[in-house]
Amino acid sequence: MAKDAKYDWLNVNKAIDSSATDIHSIAFNSIDVNAGTSFCAADGTIAANTFFFDTIPKCTGEVFEIVTTSVVAFTMCVVIFSIIMLSQFITVIWTERKLIARFMDRRGATTSMRSLWVGENGVTAGEWWTLLPFGLGAPVGWLVNTLNRFVGNKSDKATVSRVNNRSWHGIWFLFPGFFQGLGDGMKFLTKEHMVPNKADKLIYELAPFLIISSTVLILGFLPFGSGIYAADPEMSVLFAFAIFGIAPLGVFFAGWSSNNKYSLLGGIRSAAQLTAYEIPLLITILSVCVLSGSLNVIEIIDFQYGSGVWNFFLIPLGALLFLITMIAEVERIPFDMPEAEAELVEGWWTEYGGMRWGLLFASEYLRCYAACILMAHFFFGGYHAPFANFIGDFGSIGDAYLAIPGIVWVLLKAWFFFAIFVWVRAAFPRIRTDQILELGWKYLLPLSLINLAFAFILRLYVFDGNSWGPGSGLIVPAAITIISLILFVVLSVDEDPDWDGQRMNHTRTRTPAGTHTLGED
Amino acid sequence: MAEMWITMGPQHPMTHGLWTLRVKVDGETVVDTVPELGYIHRGVEKICEARDFTQITPYCDRLCYASAMTWAQSYIYAAEDLLGAEVPERAEYIRLIAVEMQRVASHLMWLGAYCPDVGNLTVFVWCLRDRELFLDLLQELGGSRMHYNFPRVGGVKRDLPIGFAMRARAKIEMFRKRLQEYEMLLDESTIFLVRTQGVGACKAEEMINAGVTGPNIRAAGVNYDIRWAHPYSVYDQIDGLAAVEKVSSNEGSDCYDRYRVRMTEMIESCNMIISALDSIPGGAETHYNKKDEMIYLKPPIRAPAGQNGFHHFEDSRGESTFYLAGGGGKKGRGEFPYRMSIRSPMFITIPYVSKAMIGYKVADIPAIMGSFDPCIGETDR
Amino acid sequence: MQSISSEQNLSAVGMAVEDTNKRFGEAGISAEVCQHRSGRKYSFVHINCPPNHWVSLAKWLRFEQGVDYLSMITGIHFPLEFEFFSGQPGYAPGTPEKGWEVIIHLTRKGIKNPKLGEQTVINASKLVGMDVPLEYQVSLVLPQTDEPKVPSVQSIWEGADWNEKETWDLVGIEFEGHDNMMRVLNPHDSPPGFHPLQKQYKIRYHNHNEMYDDAQGFMRKPLDSDKKK
Repeated sequence: MAKDAKYDWLNVNKAIDSSATDIHSIAFNSIDVNAGTSFCAADGTIAANTFFFDTIPKCTGEVFEIVTTSVVAFTMCVVIFSIIMLSQFITVIWTERKLIARFMDRRGATTSMRSLWVGENGVTAGEWWTLLPFGLGAPVGWLVNTLNRFVGNKSDKATVSRVNNRSWHGIWFLFPGFFQGLGDGMKFLTKEHMVPNKADKLIYELAPFLIISSTVLILGFLPFGSGIYAADPEMSVLFAFAIFGIAPLGVFFAGWSSNNKYSLLGGIRSAAQLTAYEIPLLITILSVCVLSGSLNVIEIIDFQYGSGVWNFFLIPLGALLFLITMIAEVERIPFDMPEAEAELVEGWWTEYGGMRWGLLFASEYLRCYAACILMAHFFFGGYHAPFANFIGDFGSIGDAYLAIPGIVWVLLKAWFFFAIFVWVRAAFPRIRTDQILELGWKYLLPLSLINLAFAFILRLYVFDGNSWGPGSGLIVPAAITIISLILFVVLSVDEDPDWDGQRMNHTRTRTPAGTHTLGED
Repeated sequence: MAEMWITMGPQHPMTHGLWTLRVKVDGETVVDTVPELGYIHRGVEKICEARDFTQITPYCDRLCYASAMTWAQSYIYAAEDLLGAEVPERAEYIRLIAVEMQRVASHLMWLGAYCPDVGNLTVFVWCLRDRELFLDLLQELGGSRMHYNFPRVGGVKRDLPIGFAMRARAKIEMFRKRLQEYEMLLDESTIFLVRTQGVGACKAEEMINAGVTGPNIRAAGVNYDIRWAHPYSVYDQIDGLAAVEKVSSNEGSDCYDRYRVRMTEMIESCNMIISALDSIPGGAETHYNKKDEMIYLKPPIRAPAGQNGFHHFEDSRGESTFYLAGGGGKKGRGEFPYRMSIRSPMFITIPYVSKAMIGYKVADIPAIMGSFDPCIGETDR
Repeated sequence: MQSISSEQNLSAVGMAVEDTNKRFGEAGISAEVCQHRSGRKYSFVHINCPPNHWVSLAKWLRFEQGVDYLSMITGIHFPLEFEFFSGQPGYAPGTPEKGWEVIIHLTRKGIKNPKLGEQTVINASKLVGMDVPLEYQVSLVLPQTDEPKVPSVQSIWEGADWNEKETWDLVGIEFEGHDNMMRVLNPHDSPPGFHPLQKQYKIRYHNHNEMYDDAQGFMRKPLDSDKKK
């Protein structure tokens, strides 16, 4: 193939590894093993010398090595975690908010960080800084008052006119509304943590840990670039989805232990829904792994680069199934029956307060975000740029194009899919639980099996070790994509709304006892 | 799993208003229900025994706050029956315009509350945004956005403002296009159809026997509307039809029919408003002063004992009836009513719907209850 | 919209009144044509009925006359003496024969279940006879008593169910044969015998001045302020 841009320059792993090795060698090698033996030539001290100048340095060295490796691993985890947290709280939640608002035609003034300090006539209502611990209140208060003096609102008229001026978006480069998510998170810290009276305390406390920790664990396997990942075991996909499947257990624990009928209903619905959608999800992922020939995420991504075609164009049905099952797995509208506000208040989250609820809420978005990133990795080439080979051949523009670090591509793709999640949320109502289960078992499962068979056929018979088919290997994927597009358009043409015939299928429970005559449906 | 009682309410996002629905579920299926009302019982009937006929109008606005104009009108017609008051024709036209605008606003509020029940939050914001169009018009007419105190015994408070007709026509044009947008989003959404079709089947004869009226009956294929059956205002002189939906199954009409009926009703109400503006006596552009006899005739103030009056009115939710018995007051001279009795359609519908819900899933409860459009202000009075 | 004309209405009302008087004339039930004084000034049927014959009248109306809809049940209390302000002279709204009145509003709507996939198309001007919608007002008068009782029509019209509950809850009129009578608007634990719309329960405030400006009554004159001491 063309340029081997497999490892882009932003290789954080290598950087941290090499710096740790440097520190290790500096620290270790500067200890002169032989320095001690020259001092004491006496026999009796050889043992002591050996102990002091051989064994200890070696043990220390090994310990040091263990320490450095773990420090490296920890640093990588911190790096990944901060990438995800920053991009989640600042971008993902902001996207959700703003995009939903645009869909709902709500423009409105943009909340900005200014609201934290602005006051009228030099007075900020609430004087929130006095609640800060460790004496942080005083300097913050001084800062707020200074800001108020120079750039605060001078009177209530100024406040009113500013609020009513809906075209005021704030200074755009100072992140209008980006920190609202963080502010909301901080608010959760101030709320009371309550345990219901007759709740099963151990399990009640345990459930959020299960959910949040399993969610965060998945993040360890997501690569953000060829050199930015926290862990890369042989079969990372398997491991990731094994962990992904712990969360339904945590959800059920939460629902059961709250001693609240709403939570129980929500927990049961959630357990049923998540279990039902795990299976098509895993089969779809299996089809991706079959297609790419590996159970390792990085190898799947590199396979897509190597064969020149993103997996999406080979199994578009799989991508669609992945999207739908992931929306069901993260419990977003239209599949959010377990937390349906209309009936269950908050479903299995109802009894949790304070930061536990905040973390559960954050974990919903984390899972969502992880799903979007996985979609990008499995089907859309991960951290490789689109048309990398084509544009990369264009000389200096190509060089500049290829020099964009992979993390940028990953994030852009993930945010794009997240925007699709938000679009779906804005447009659709909620599906009822039994309809969700029907969809999962009766429609998605057979489709995912068909997809798996298709992936087998492609891999075994079409893949010739290097590319998909003869020549540049683009004919087969192009054909598949075009046929899928045609099918999609044909199937999504809606029925005539004035059609008077038989109503479409709906699911009903048993006929109400004794009140209605049995009808034709 | 054993059967258990769940209490939905009184603080609950599903209930449109303050009431409790205790539901006995077997797994996810509803087995029994008990509605509990009366949380906002304000004793309006008793209070109005100490109020003048003009003073009662604001109380009736506050009965059903989502549809205030219709309730005030309903009372006014009953009071005019009691007192024997004459109403000029132009006032009747103005009342009709106000009532139909309120009907559209009420149905938009219903749609905006119904769709989040089913899960679609976008339509909520859209509907409230379009309700603002009508609320602005009603504010021009009545003076406030929610409780207008607009009709008077013997006429209306004031005439159509200058330019009202022009603005009303423009806004109705805009609204018609927007309504098509909502229909596109909801009617072509498989999920919405799957949630509302086949759910909440109710037959017309059972509903009538139970006292349910209005759009709920018309959704069951029966063309019955008080505006043509017991005509009271100038409905027989303007163009407009009652909106009726065809029956969808042998078991009656479902939530989707009730939704479609209200959408069609909104269009029909818009037609009625335009038609009334076209044929109002004295022209829609002229503005008469207050107490001008084109819009208001002074009624008798007292109704002695032995006189009474009632009126059936087509409210946005069904049939609302007021019954007034004369002869109350401090010395029995009849400046206050001796007894005012209010019939609220939702007070009768909610127990009926609670029974009709049995056999469906818990997730269907908001869908079914919402499709009947409850408003608790009028239920508890 | 095309609506029922006044001739249709008058003829239907006349026919209904005749039928009722013919059927029930000897039982002390009298029907008459009354006219609204507002709106289109259409007529309705007003029936005076002794309470013990109410059920048979109701059954006849429901099954023979096609009155399929019960709108409202109102209970009114007419005490022999009623003081609007406590301590001030009042008036006598009731007589020994008229202590309580129950007024029932009914409508004949003529609704039949339409067939699957159809809607009923009604040309209002072509309705004749029993299809013409009609309003009824039935008045049951009870003498002065402490325990007013009226038979229940819960089994005849289902809409009477909660109407009767409300009437008992607020006015205190008992409905014999009513299944599961309970408080609907007052709290469930209201003391028995508390029926607020009875005239001996007074409204606390009589005008807005009292309610808003002087809620605790400091400015009210004592009850015997104009009594010569």
